[in-house]
Amino acid sequence: MSKSLTVLLLDDEPIVGRRLKPALDKIGCQVEVFEDPRQAVARIDEKEFDIVVTDIRMEGLDGIQVLEHVQQKWPRTKVIMITGYAKMDLAREAMGKGVFDFIAKPFRPDDLRQIIARAAEALGMTIDVEPVNGNSGKE
Amino acid sequence: MSITEKLKKFGHKETGVRYFCLQTIRFKKLLENARGVLDLFADGREKLQGEYIFDRHYVVSLIDSVLDRLKMMVYDAAVLVPARGEALFAAYDVHKQTARKLIVPGRAASAGSDFDDPEYQLLAEALQWFNGTAMPTDQTVMGFIKQTFFYVTTGLPAPDILSWGKLSEHIDVLTVGRGLYVIDLWKDVQSLPAHKRTLADFDQTPLRHLLMAASLPAEPVWIAAVSEYQMSLQSIRPDFGFRLETLASGYEPSDFIFIFTDNVTLLDKILPPGFHIESTDFGQFAWSLDLSAKTIEDTLMNIGRKLFDESLRRS
Repeated sequence: MSKSLTVLLLDDEPIVGRRLKPALDKIGCQVEVFEDPRQAVARIDEKEFDIVVTDIRMEGLDGIQVLEHVQQKWPRTKVIMITGYAKMDLAREAMGKGVFDFIAKPFRPDDLRQIIARAAEALGMTIDVEPVNGNSGKE
Repeated sequence: MSITEKLKKFGHKETGVRYFCLQTIRFKKLLENARGVLDLFADGREKLQGEYIFDRHYVVSLIDSVLDRLKMMVYDAAVLVPARGEALFAAYDVHKQTARKLIVPGRAASAGSDFDDPEYQLLAEALQWFNGTAMPTDQTVMGFIKQTFFYVTTGLPAPDILSWGKLSEHIDVLTVGRGLYVIDLWKDVQSLPAHKRTLADFDQTPLRHLLMAASLPAEPVWIAAVSEYQMSLQSIRPDFGFRLETLASGYEPSDFIFIFTDNVTLLDKILPPGFHIESTDFGQFAWSLDLSAKTIEDTLMNIGRKLFDESLRRS
């Protein structure tokens, strides 16, 4: 049996975790959701995730700092940034620091699933972006 | 230098053509801004129905964008019909206050909320303000847009060509066929043509298709202001308000047809399916957006045939 893709999802807006976790569960990912970046970083210290999906701007610790922390601790992990409006300066900075990809709000869960599939491929893993229960992708 | 300032520098100041062209261009700006609001509505609806991930900032930006576009619309309308400016800006301020109340931080959601996520609930409430059936029509943005168009279309007098001073000497050169004056929106504003023109002199896609199957009335009762891909067709009969605006550039996302008439049943007779029609006590508005080149050509041909037949029958 192939190993499940492990994903840490970090966004201080609860809607993101609430709507994305079921969408990623459906394609067989093991997802842990965090709204507090410090708690997420503490978890990253404990466990190597295949993919970290993080918002770029959060209170306390921003996405760039999370990216740097992940790269220092687990160089293999792919980091995907969620950006909102008027955050292109931060997005450019993240690009220079080796982020795997960006996704801009508003977006659909399927848009993120496509990026995660590419990240999995880059890790030498495969993932079927069609939901494992055969649904069409609507959450 | 703005378009208006450029046009003001052009000649034949008192013919009325210049004012007519400026008015036509301003009306197009009004339509562009109204369309911008409709596009924002559509974006919001898509996000609400499409299971999108968005944050509060998206909704706030959407509301701000609607207010910006509305303000530009109101400005255009106030330029066209200055007497209505004060009322329009006052109504705009009411909408601005409604919007601000929607986005007050920590505001509780309306009773009977359909959504678990506050972002979705806020967007749903914003869409109600835009064009919701749960709100009285006159309190929605769409109701305000209709009111604005009502003020403009009823406040703008039909072009009185015979009062256009020196232009009356040039009426023949501006007449194509017998029932339609044609003005080149950009060239005639600078200088009137030196010789009589025919339709062939106008490389004008919408007008060509509008007239393809049409029988023009004998008396000049229509005026069309055209540029390469744009056309503004108006009735000049004081007892028959009709205005058709179209862009037929071949670029689907921007091409459209917009029609207003003060007749409350005319559009049902002359429009093919596919138009959004808003009927009011004072007339009908209709529009169709994102049209393909083929559709717009066929539609204009269809409208032209029926419109001129209908106006002949009514004359």
